[in-house]
Amino acid sequence: MPQTTTTTDSPRTMHARTALLGWSLEAMEACHKHGRPFIAVVPPEFGPYMEEHKLAYEPWDFSKLNERSTELYERLEERGVQFAVPLYEETVEWSGALNARFQSNPRLFNRSLLFRDKAMMKRKAQIHGLKVGVFEEVENKDDVRKFLKRVNAALLKLDEEPSDPVHVKPFAAAGTVGHRVIRTEADIDKIPDDQFPLLAESNLAGQEFSCEAFVHGGKIKFLNITEYVRLGHSNFIPASPELEEYRPKIVEAMEELIEAFGVENGFLHPEWFISKNGNVKFGEVAARVPGGHIFDLIERAYGFSAYYAMVLASDPDTEQAAFDELFPQPVTGAEGHAGCLMIYPRKQKIEKLDMPDELKNDDYFERHTLFEPAAGKVASREGFGNHYGTVFLFGQDPERMRTLLKRYEEHDFYV
Amino acid sequence: MIRVPTDDLSTQQTTPGLDDLLRRFDHALEELQTAPGFAKPRYQTEIQQIATDILGMSGGIKALDERAPLFEEAGVFVGGPWEDTTRLSPPLVGGTLKAGGLSQTMETLSDLRMVALATGRVTNGKTTTEEAMAYLEKITSLNLALLFGPSTEAERTGPAFDAQAASSLFRHILRNVPVERLVQRVVNEIEEICVQRPIWTHQVRKMIRLVAHLPGAEPSDDPALGRFVEAITGPTKVSRTVRDPLDYRKAIKDMHSAQLAREIEDFAASLRATGLAAEQHAVLARHLVRTDVTRLADALGLDDRGRAELEANQDLTAELVRVAIHPTTCQTLYGLARILERGLLSRPAVAGGLRRLIDLSIRADVRKVLLATRDRDDGTTANEVLVAGTIRVLGQPLGVGQGNNPTCQAARGISMWSQHRPGYLLELIARAARDGVVEVAFEGDLMRSDELGPGLAPHLDPELDPVSLTLVPHLDSLYDEMMKRVAMRTDDGHRWVNPGLYGRIVPSGFSSAIDKVTATVTNYRDFVRLFYASHHPHYNDGHALIYPNPVGLLITTTQGVLLGFHAVSLQRVAPDPTGTLRAYFFNPNNEGRQDWGQKIRTSVTGHGEQEGESSLPFHQFASRLYAYHYDPYEVGDTYAVPEHSIEEVERLARESWGRKYPWLPDPNAAAPPGLV
Repeated sequence: MPQTTTTTDSPRTMHARTALLGWSLEAMEACHKHGRPFIAVVPPEFGPYMEEHKLAYEPWDFSKLNERSTELYERLEERGVQFAVPLYEETVEWSGALNARFQSNPRLFNRSLLFRDKAMMKRKAQIHGLKVGVFEEVENKDDVRKFLKRVNAALLKLDEEPSDPVHVKPFAAAGTVGHRVIRTEADIDKIPDDQFPLLAESNLAGQEFSCEAFVHGGKIKFLNITEYVRLGHSNFIPASPELEEYRPKIVEAMEELIEAFGVENGFLHPEWFISKNGNVKFGEVAARVPGGHIFDLIERAYGFSAYYAMVLASDPDTEQAAFDELFPQPVTGAEGHAGCLMIYPRKQKIEKLDMPDELKNDDYFERHTLFEPAAGKVASREGFGNHYGTVFLFGQDPERMRTLLKRYEEHDFYV
Repeated sequence: MIRVPTDDLSTQQTTPGLDDLLRRFDHALEELQTAPGFAKPRYQTEIQQIATDILGMSGGIKALDERAPLFEEAGVFVGGPWEDTTRLSPPLVGGTLKAGGLSQTMETLSDLRMVALATGRVTNGKTTTEEAMAYLEKITSLNLALLFGPSTEAERTGPAFDAQAASSLFRHILRNVPVERLVQRVVNEIEEICVQRPIWTHQVRKMIRLVAHLPGAEPSDDPALGRFVEAITGPTKVSRTVRDPLDYRKAIKDMHSAQLAREIEDFAASLRATGLAAEQHAVLARHLVRTDVTRLADALGLDDRGRAELEANQDLTAELVRVAIHPTTCQTLYGLARILERGLLSRPAVAGGLRRLIDLSIRADVRKVLLATRDRDDGTTANEVLVAGTIRVLGQPLGVGQGNNPTCQAARGISMWSQHRPGYLLELIARAARDGVVEVAFEGDLMRSDELGPGLAPHLDPELDPVSLTLVPHLDSLYDEMMKRVAMRTDDGHRWVNPGLYGRIVPSGFSSAIDKVTATVTNYRDFVRLFYASHHPHYNDGHALIYPNPVGLLITTTQGVLLGFHAVSLQRVAPDPTGTLRAYFFNPNNEGRQDWGQKIRTSVTGHGEQEGESSLPFHQFASRLYAYHYDPYEVGDTYAVPEHSIEEVERLARESWGRKYPWLPDPNAAAPPGLV
């Protein structure tokens, strides 16, 4: 039986070398399964749960940055922690700050801030010669107007031609949260004033995909490529042969990114755009657990826990043998393709769940997490918001996977 | 004719696809089983999803039942309301199933687990086979309608409710519980409801009809059950076979006098024994009004006072029977008997008020609501329905109930006025039915209900008697508005609202255990001491309660955990036949039998209760009290109340609802001994 702790201390005094930042049953379960003790640093409201299940933890309010922040380091240090793993966007700079102290490398903190400020992140990539679109920090609607105008002027658009879109997004929010596409004046007017400042950037053409890289000693130990069928709605793992064909170029771009950001140990989840001729452009990068059920899909396709891989990669003392044991060969080591479709109701009022029998009886169908709606009203959402449930598929043929994801993306699961 | 749908599972074909679902279910159950305790919630969703699909298939219940012994240990219920089998509450089962979707699935899995416990296929160290069996009997007895499958009646269900699956569940349970015991339990249930003489009898009539059709229920061999079945279908020699009111009407005409006398006697006996009337009884009453109205005294089984009252009010009684006693309103016969025995018809205000309702011009919206209370369209008018309903409320003030509505205040008001201000109640009914308004003067302001917003129950559940349906929306709005007006005052609002709403029958003194501003229990011992000195006959100089006292109770679960506030009226304080001093009170929530934990169980019969009263030993009642009124001129010797009595009440309070509140030490006392 794996042990989460070697002592019989209380959940508030147990020792462990690994700190998990953020509440994640998946991450804790992965550590538990592999017999690796951990201390979970969680918001105080999770305390009773941790006590009830005798899980080592340290309560901490991540939203408060103040002069007491160093206390967290002291408390963890006292309990034997040697490195921290960020699970959520909001915990990335905390792990940077903690690891800077644990590893006596102050720059680790500054580096973590790169992930939390999308403008700084882009500038860093640009300085290092990665291909990026044009971008600006915008303070108000006028700035957005000017930016839209300048981008389209540079594209030599005639006045009567429709504008090429630009994108605005918050500097520090996970994935698609707060992301808006701007084509017209009206789109600009819809941006609430209190959301500024924002990052504005030109539209990157090409196929969008993400990478999940487990990095140790500055080297990629495992690289997954996730193919997006539709951003925020559907994706699958491993990518199709058409995308995997570009793997050498993608690896090259990933290595440049790692060098540019000076990443030694940890996990990276960047988004890239690739043009028909194999030109890889940088979108953005995160250093926490990715959305879109990507970790679930990795586990289903490759059979290893990406949460645990993230912990191993974050631990400066992990031996190569541990990686060799955990990671299979990319693509060829996968059992098949694992995909998912995230469902958002498209109506204001929903009454019932319509799960087509044809989908349920498809041999690619594995499970779904959609429930009969209790209340009919759909909460309005910003960006992609939270989806209502997910359909998980698994099969051998990536073409069929893509077709199914596309077809059921059209279906109204809630009517 | 209702039949239990038959599906012999042993011969049933399983639907294609079930095997595949079961494979997935077994896999998911194993994953859940092996997951560490803290991570179980991750795997429960999958179980719930697949189980919902399985339940929708023929043979699904049986397949899940085979796996039920594994559920609890695997962790299907961990972290949810079904986790602890000792805390499951039978009255909640029906509503949870009817909510449909996930609720129905989890409830079904939980009940299958109880079947596994009851049949000894698994043990959990907490619930014995006997306890699990009793639980199954209880939930089945409460949900006979679900057992018999989709009914034509409009039931309140969620959009995803699967009536077929619910029916399968209870049929499955039925195969596992001894049916004779189940029937016995349902009959006891019916008995205990009837002994409280509710004025709204739809639910209990439905139960009687359903239990009679349970396999193994033989009304002819079971006198207790047979008595109730006959009470509503035909309790006399002739009515037993002549069920149709029209045929019975013909049969009466040809009866010779001895036969008629026998019918009269048997109807009366059944009505007085069960509180339930049969449709033919109404036909008989109408016949007697045409031939010899004085014989109603025998047909209603009146006591001496009732006979005298009938004698003195023959015309009015005859008029009321012609208007209000029809086959569909036959239940009003019991109300009529009681109204005569209360001597109410001799009061000019009551006689006038009832006569006014007969030709009152009723508003269209009220008319619609009134006509909808009938079982069938039989040509009765809204006025007839309203008069019938009014007779019942006046005859049985303690039979009023709030139904499935949070309107205990309004129900309590109707009950109190029926007892002590019947003329006023008739006035309110007339205004509400004709003008769509109830007016009350509150602290110098005239408040009109039609100028106010909806109260606590904007959508009244229609399972209510006609008077409540007419009055409660107005009373609810008025109560809500009064509470808003006093919301900023520093004492419990009921101090002002109770006399404002119910009138001057509420005494001016008021005491509350909970300080409103600080939400702490303050001066609790003074509170208890004053209650004893004002209400306990040993210490209050013998001042009996004249009017019911509208008091506030803290309702607790069987574990003694605070559930919420509830309005009841304290009717009287008196020794029961064994000499134990008891508080007798009216509980408007239709269910006088409650278990509030700490062995505090309210009783409705056998301890000197009158019809409709609940009772508790005096100190137990005191321990759940948080607010009461008293007459400042009728307080006895507070110092004479023994310390140990107060300590016992305080202990019961502190160890139950008191755990939810901070307690301030009494300012003039040292910390209570033994308590912190």
